[in-house]
Parts: sequence; C-alpha cells; structure tokens
Amino acid sequence: MWLLNFLPDWVFYVVGSVGLIGLFLSYLLQFIPIPSINIYKIPIQLVSIVLIVFATYMFGGIANEEQWNARVEEVEAKVAMAEVESVKQNVQILEKVVKKTEYITRKGEEVIQYVDREIVKYDSSCVIPKEFIKAHNDATELNK
Amino acid sequence: MKYIICVLFMLISGCSTVVPVTVKFPEAPSKLQTICPQLEKLKDEAKLSDVSKTITINYSTYYECAVKVDSWIEWYQVHKLIFEGIK
Repeated sequence: MWLLNFLPDWVFYVVGSVGLIGLFLSYLLQFIPIPSINIYKIPIQLVSIVLIVFATYMFGGIANEEQWNARVEEVEAKVAMAEVESVKQNVQILEKVVKKTEYITRKGEEVIQYVDREIVKYDSSCVIPKEFIKAHNDATELNK
Repeated sequence: MKYIICVLFMLISGCSTVVPVTVKFPEAPSKLQTICPQLEKLKDEAKLSDVSKTITINYSTYYECAVKVDSWIEWYQVHKLIFEGIK
C-alpha cells in the first residue's frame, strides 16, 4: 500500500481514535440542550464513521503490509543463501573441470611422448596415403 | 464531486507496490564459457608419428570439451535445485 510508505502507522491509529472520540462526543451532544450545537451532531457522526471506516481499512493494510514484509525478508534471506550456495557450487564445479582437464592434458602429453619415442621408428617404413589424410581432415570438419 | 474524490483517494490507497525481491541469474564459471576449439588437421606430407600426434591431440580436445559439457549439465542441475529451494 503506497499510502503506508508516505505516512507512519501511528497516523492511522490517531485517525481511528479521532473517529471513535468524535462518535462518542456526538452521542454526548444530545444531552446538551443548545440547538445551535446540536445541529453538528449528524455531520460529526458522519465524519467520525468515515474516519473509523478509513482507519479500519488501513489497519487491515498495515497488517497485510507487515505480513508481506515478513515474506519479503524470508525470500531475501533465501535468495542470499542461494547466492552463497551458487558460488560454493561454482567453485566445486570449476575445481573438477580444472582437475579433469589437467589429467587429460597430462595423459595426452604421455601419449605424445610415447609417439615420439616409439612410433617415430616406423615413420620411414610406413607411407601415409593422401586418401587417408583427406579422410581424416574431412572428418575434422563434420560440423561445417 | 468532493465525496467522489475522497472515496477514490481511499480506494487507491489499497494499491500495492512492487515486491522488492529480485533474483540475480547465477554466474557460471568463466572456464565453462569458452567455446570448444576446432579439431586439428593433418599436413599433406604427414608421417605416421604426425598422424598419431594429431589424433591424440584431437582426442584430448574432445575429452576436454566433454568435460565442459558434463560440467554444464552438472551446473544446470545444481542451480535448478538451488533455485527451487527459494520458492
């Protein structure tokens, strides 16, 4: 309720109290035998009822606002926890990626070392046909 | 007219404000956000050892990329659970 953002809650309690006091005073007016004062009885009653209705409506708004604020705080706390958890999980995932990538790189280097040590011996005796090279290179571009 | 304005003023006092809770889209690790490289090709005069090396490098590239894809799947599943926990 935007009105609650501009006015403090106590204003509506004061409005409600003024309404109640006004209503009470308007009943007391009937005991005063002065006609010039008695003519204000109905307007005072009307204004008091309007004030009471408005204040009651705003009391409901205040209660509703408090309930929503509590809910907002609860969700904000959950969001903050989720953000912390997200960062934690990201770190764990990143560590796994780095570890696995390092392992793959190391294993690849080992295989290349093996190739440099053992396979090079067959370089001169094994001729690679151009068709094989073409087939391999075509296979590297399957996504194009 | 005055009464109508008063009644309208009372009625619009019930208008709600926007709930001030926003959930930021979670940031994924930057290492996962790099694209997979293209596979290496053989030179025209490639020897057997060159073929073996190129194939090894390409396998490494594939497995490194597979790690990224697996990590994205894990990232999605983990963050889906985290997001569902907010509700």
